[in-house]
Amino acid sequence: MLKLLLRFQHMDRRWIFLGMGLSILLPLVFPINFGFKVDERVQALYDSVEALEPGDTVLISADFDPASRPELEPFYRANLEHLFRQDVNVVMVSLWEFAPPLVVPILDEVAARHGKVYGKDYVFLGYKPGKELAIKAIGENIPKTFPTDSKGTPTEELPIMKGFKQAKDFPLLINVSAGFPGTREYVLQIQGQYNLKIASACTAVSAPDYIPFYKAGQLTGLAGGMPGSAQYEKLVYPDGPPDGVRLLASQAINVLNLGHLYIIGLIVLGNIAFFLTRRLED
Amino acid sequence: MKRTVPLILTFLVGLFMVGEYFIPHYRYRIWTAEFLEWGVILAAAAFVLGLINLIQVNLPKVLKRERDWGYKLVMLIALAVTLVAGFTAGEHRDGPSVYKWVYDYTFVPLNATMFALLAFYIASAAFRAFKARNLEAALLLGAAIIVMVARVPAGESLPVIGDYLPRFMNWIMDVPNIAARRAIFIGAALGAVATGLRVILGLERSHLGAD
Repeated sequence: MLKLLLRFQHMDRRWIFLGMGLSILLPLVFPINFGFKVDERVQALYDSVEALEPGDTVLISADFDPASRPELEPFYRANLEHLFRQDVNVVMVSLWEFAPPLVVPILDEVAARHGKVYGKDYVFLGYKPGKELAIKAIGENIPKTFPTDSKGTPTEELPIMKGFKQAKDFPLLINVSAGFPGTREYVLQIQGQYNLKIASACTAVSAPDYIPFYKAGQLTGLAGGMPGSAQYEKLVYPDGPPDGVRLLASQAINVLNLGHLYIIGLIVLGNIAFFLTRRLED
Repeated sequence: MKRTVPLILTFLVGLFMVGEYFIPHYRYRIWTAEFLEWGVILAAAAFVLGLINLIQVNLPKVLKRERDWGYKLVMLIALAVTLVAGFTAGEHRDGPSVYKWVYDYTFVPLNATMFALLAFYIASAAFRAFKARNLEAALLLGAAIIVMVARVPAGESLPVIGDYLPRFMNWIMDVPNIAARRAIFIGAALGAVATGLRVILGLERSHLGAD
């Protein structure tokens, strides 16, 4: 028995990889749908969007890449749906060089579904390098930081930008953040200085870092990782998605079930084997 | 001279930018906005330096057939193709182009694959390294298992404890997690203030290079 446990402790990692692969594949082939509750932080984010009036304009900083797409794209899509459904205008920027080819087609797609007009109801001002410097510049002067939009139209000539010069002119800033530069930098650089209302959707690994900002009132809401995106989808589509819309996170969250349970099982079994074979190994 | 001028510039610009927080006059803001614009332009110029550096480091190794020269050659070819595709696609790359194709069909799958592989390595690392060897490790292990179970719908659906798990997870995240992170944040912030002051006052000179 002890020898078996010893062999288990030192098993080839390819067996672990195989188990992980099956834990992800099986729920995709045979989905099991568990219900889930909405977290207080996601509810607060949803409420801060609900509190906007038709005709308001929000600033979105879309800062994610293909690696974080599964976690953040569902939120990003549901959030745009939520905003356009309320007739809220969207001004979007990006601090991640890999984001624009990813986020612009989705922005155009969701805007077209709601009959929104580019330049009047929504705009993408483009990517800006400089990380914290760019964030400070967004806080100071947006037309100076983004002299034209991504199509080359001077920012000051865009109807949607009339009366919007600084980040503080927007009633809400939504940051879809996969890391650096992202929510942490927005909070540190400009939230306190201008007393901005910022809501954040971030990767699961960043969420524990941003919870102190939420608790201190520096973030009005926080959706962390795939569970956060799924919960936001649940709030935006309480009666299920309309035709042609897929709730990506709500489907994917059930794939996480078996993956998480597999890792927990490995940790527990690994510890049992460790304690039982410790003397033998010594 | 080579050191004195950068030190004087750092001192003046650093002091000026800090002043923004204490002098709320709009004219002062116009100047700080101007400085920020210079900063953004300099940051963009860093991409060009990065490009030159990448070629300077890798090209000689390819020419001399040093170790792993094949990978470096692939990297340099990919760099050249993407660069040419980017320039030929023009300033506004909304429509279909070689650049968009390179992004959609090489960068996106490669980037996503690299990140997805983490799941496998995390499973292996958790199995091998996550052992309750002492009290601290046991506490960490217990907290990690509770948070992992409560984060997925299966955890919430467990009989009897399903209702309590998310509450306990939120307590872990809101109380011990925040307490530790605030301590780290405040410590790091004080460190950043001290380092900033040292740079402005010219006591910290490592950013000026070795010469």
